[in-house]
Amino acid sequence: MSRGNLFLSLLLWLILAIFVIYPLSFLVIESFKIAGTNDVGIQNYIDFFKDTYYLKTFGNTLLLALLVLLTSTAFGLPLAYILARYRLKGKTVLTALILLPIVLPAYAGAFAFMVFFGKQGTLNLLLLELGLVSKPVNFIFGLHGLVFIQALHLLPFIVLSLSAGFTNIDPSLEEAAEVEGAGGFKRFITVTLPLCTPNYLAGAVIVFLWPFTDWLTPMIFGQIDYLPSISYINIAYHFTDMYRKYMGIVSVVVSSVICIGMFLISKRWVESKKYTSLSKGTTLEGRIIEPGPIKRFWSYVYMFLIAVLVLLIPTVLGLSAFSRRWVLTPIPTYWTLDNFRLIFLESPGLLKNSFVFSGVSLLWGVAFGLPAAYLITRTRVRGKEALDFVITLMLAFPGIAVGVSYLLAFWEGIPLATHWIIMPLSLFVRRLPYFLRMAHASYLQLDVSLEEASEISGAGKLKTFMNISLPLLLKGVFVGIVMFFIMAFQEISTAIFLYRGGWETLPIGIFLNWHRGMEFGIAAAMAFFMIVIIFILLLIVSRIGGGIIGAAWGSSGGRY
Amino acid sequence: MAFIKIENLYKRFGNVAAVNHIWLEVNRGEILTLLGPSGCGKTTTLRCIAGLEKPDEGDVIIDGQSMFSQGFIPPSKREIGMVFQNYAVWPHMRVFDNVAYGLKIRKLPKKVIKKKVTETLESLGLTGLEGRFPGQLSGGQQQRVALARALVGNPKVLLLDEPLSNLDAKLREKMRFEIKSLVRRMGITSVYVTHDQAEAMVISDRVSIMNAGDIVQVGTPEEIYKKPANRFVADFIGTTNFIAGEISEVLRERELVSIHTEFGQKMLCKIPDPAMASTNKKVTISIRPEDIEVFKEPREGADNLFKGTIVNRAYLGNFLYLFVSVDHTMVRVQAPYGIKQKEGEELFLFLNPEKCIVLP
Ligand SMILES: Nc1ncnc2c1ncn2[C@@H]1O[C@H](COP(=O)(O)OP(=O)(O)OP(=O)(O)O)[C@@H](O)[C@H]1O
Ligand SMILES: [Mg+2]
Repeated sequence: MSRGNLFLSLLLWLILAIFVIYPLSFLVIESFKIAGTNDVGIQNYIDFFKDTYYLKTFGNTLLLALLVLLTSTAFGLPLAYILARYRLKGKTVLTALILLPIVLPAYAGAFAFMVFFGKQGTLNLLLLELGLVSKPVNFIFGLHGLVFIQALHLLPFIVLSLSAGFTNIDPSLEEAAEVEGAGGFKRFITVTLPLCTPNYLAGAVIVFLWPFTDWLTPMIFGQIDYLPSISYINIAYHFTDMYRKYMGIVSVVVSSVICIGMFLISKRWVESKKYTSLSKGTTLEGRIIEPGPIKRFWSYVYMFLIAVLVLLIPTVLGLSAFSRRWVLTPIPTYWTLDNFRLIFLESPGLLKNSFVFSGVSLLWGVAFGLPAAYLITRTRVRGKEALDFVITLMLAFPGIAVGVSYLLAFWEGIPLATHWIIMPLSLFVRRLPYFLRMAHASYLQLDVSLEEASEISGAGKLKTFMNISLPLLLKGVFVGIVMFFIMAFQEISTAIFLYRGGWETLPIGIFLNWHRGMEFGIAAAMAFFMIVIIFILLLIVSRIGGGIIGAAWGSSGGRY
Repeated sequence: MAFIKIENLYKRFGNVAAVNHIWLEVNRGEILTLLGPSGCGKTTTLRCIAGLEKPDEGDVIIDGQSMFSQGFIPPSKREIGMVFQNYAVWPHMRVFDNVAYGLKIRKLPKKVIKKKVTETLESLGLTGLEGRFPGQLSGGQQQRVALARALVGNPKVLLLDEPLSNLDAKLREKMRFEIKSLVRRMGITSVYVTHDQAEAMVISDRVSIMNAGDIVQVGTPEEIYKKPANRFVADFIGTTNFIAGEISEVLRERELVSIHTEFGQKMLCKIPDPAMASTNKKVTISIRPEDIEVFKEPREGADNLFKGTIVNRAYLGNFLYLFVSVDHTMVRVQAPYGIKQKEGEELFLFLNPEKCIVLP
């Protein structure tokens, strides 16, 4: 173990200690404080679980999580099968569309669907006009709407994980079943599906945990009786009401514990079940088959419908962005660039803040992620597993938990929260595992012997890294950079607790404009603008990283 | 009696004919090996028999029933057992369930299944492992599970695709004999794919040699070794020396031909089939290293005795392996341990005409 590595490792641990472990433990300790006294105890938790309202909230969240998982699985399973097994023309484009929600912020979808499916929305107006219904149908307000929008948003995780499973199954395992007499459906049920469970679980846990972290979507749909939403409301609006404040903090901790717990359990389970096969890489193409005309037809219809739903998001936001006073008509009647004028001329600070904060956090993310990936993959430095573990755990932490803990921890003891640096800092911590995972994956693909050869030729560790590793890692690193930026750019959960006047970012601008009620056009224009930026960045990644799908997949896991 | 008939089978991948219009018969109860270098179409042929691949032309007939030309019969309806190269043991099922799978599909009574599976596992030395998952088994044990699964249903045909190639050398040798005796005992018609010629020799009743999608020769292991049909077979089976030359004289009464060789000397060889036994014909002589005798001194008037220089001498335990240069043609010789000559020294090689095979 070299001294350099040890020093590096200590440095990374120090950063983790100050910016991750300290604030998060602060949050936990705070949750045990008893209001108005200096005592600590479990009173807050007792109150929480005794209060029928919070219990109901807890139950609602659990129910929502289950329904979202069920729905996305039901819709994702056939889609994953089609993607993995059928040879269809235009599949790549349709796939890219279907997977798009993975990089779009959830609130963009929520806004768009409210406009399209709402009581006064485009669809209802059209149906009324056609005389198909006599009064507006409630498509989305309520539990079913939440399930619908969240399932669509999370569909990519199920599709990607399952189709990876379907693709990676060694074909001979299915052929063996065929030879043994199990044709078609029987084979699918007894062999194919069970072999996909580890893959499925990896995606399913992300989906299941989402409702425990997404506070904004329920609020957009006028619902607050879900754990993350009520946490937000209690902490953001009722910070002076001690009871509500502590219930909010307890909700955050409860959500976090559930997220971390489920994440760890599923991780353990997936690892123990990972079926290693003896196959000698015969699975490159998996079992791609030519579907018959009927299957082909329905596959297209199915993919098309989902792609249309996804496309609704940018379309509706685009229509709102270029119009004003779009109410009570199926499509806008008054076209204008006013919204954009307002954004660019009257509040350019939003854009500047977004770019600066995301950029700074990105710099830190790379500065932290590259050495961390190096330590974890290439050295035997003590405690590297723990390092990896702590960083990976950040994947499961709800954004709201990071936000609240920063608010609490960096207010008095270390008064960082009074400086704008807190904004990129929280983004950096929130997306910590992001870049690391990308660098990690590229590192794993880089043959050690290439580096060893350089060292044998006389280059030191740092020289080797600069001359050999970095150029070879560049592609993966670049994809990681862009994905990190996209995610930081749309982040709202942490920022919403920490921003002060003048620090607003684009997502906060969207939120505020919507929240104040009347400026929906501006909010939509901002969301549209954000989607355009994401699109451009995605295009760049896909040019470099080979395919939008691959690019989007790289982003899995990090989006709570 | 032919139990499996492969008729004019043709399968193309892109522009490559993986299997090029082959004809082949497998007799009832015999073990036939498909042997050939990598990529020659063995697996493709086997998969056509299984129905995992549909040929572009031709047919496979199993027990008098056409598999392709009168409507495609899917693998699940063919009553075959198959052992895959990577075993394809289902990792999510216990050993018992893996083996019982096909029987369950056929809806046999539970008791019968239990009995059959137990018996089969016992015959393969797997008793006691029923409850384990494949991940808890060694490679050799997984291989046996795959074999048990293929055999338990008493299939009409057993197909094996390089079943031993993932095992270590010792185990591989042992399993050859085990598979052979087991399959013999059960009397199942088997097609065995391998690219290991030693394995093919041990295991098969007949060997079918393939090259680039064609069947080059079919015969018993002995026939193939002693009477290779062409240069490819001679080279592929065992080691041999090739000497190029041209027939200068046909000595019918002695059943020999005289050949003018590349190293400028005359050589007598056993007469080949009539089509080839004509003067001025360019041929290749094949003689195996173990068929060459070594002498220290020349002998007056002896045929096929050539002087050479030892270029390389290797000690292989039970014999010596010599590379001898005969007028710049390198000849490999398997010599008895007693030869004392060192590298650079001369000796005489006797290439017994009876053992010299003339190939086109
Ligand atoms: N699914 C496929 N797609 C395209 N080409 C294929 C496919 N399967 C086989 N081939 C080609 O057909 C030829 C014969 O392949 P096959 O697998 O039958 O060879 P093999 O004799 O079994 O070789 P090996 O000993 O390496 O297993 C090869 O050239 C191979 O590349
Ligand atoms: Mg093969």
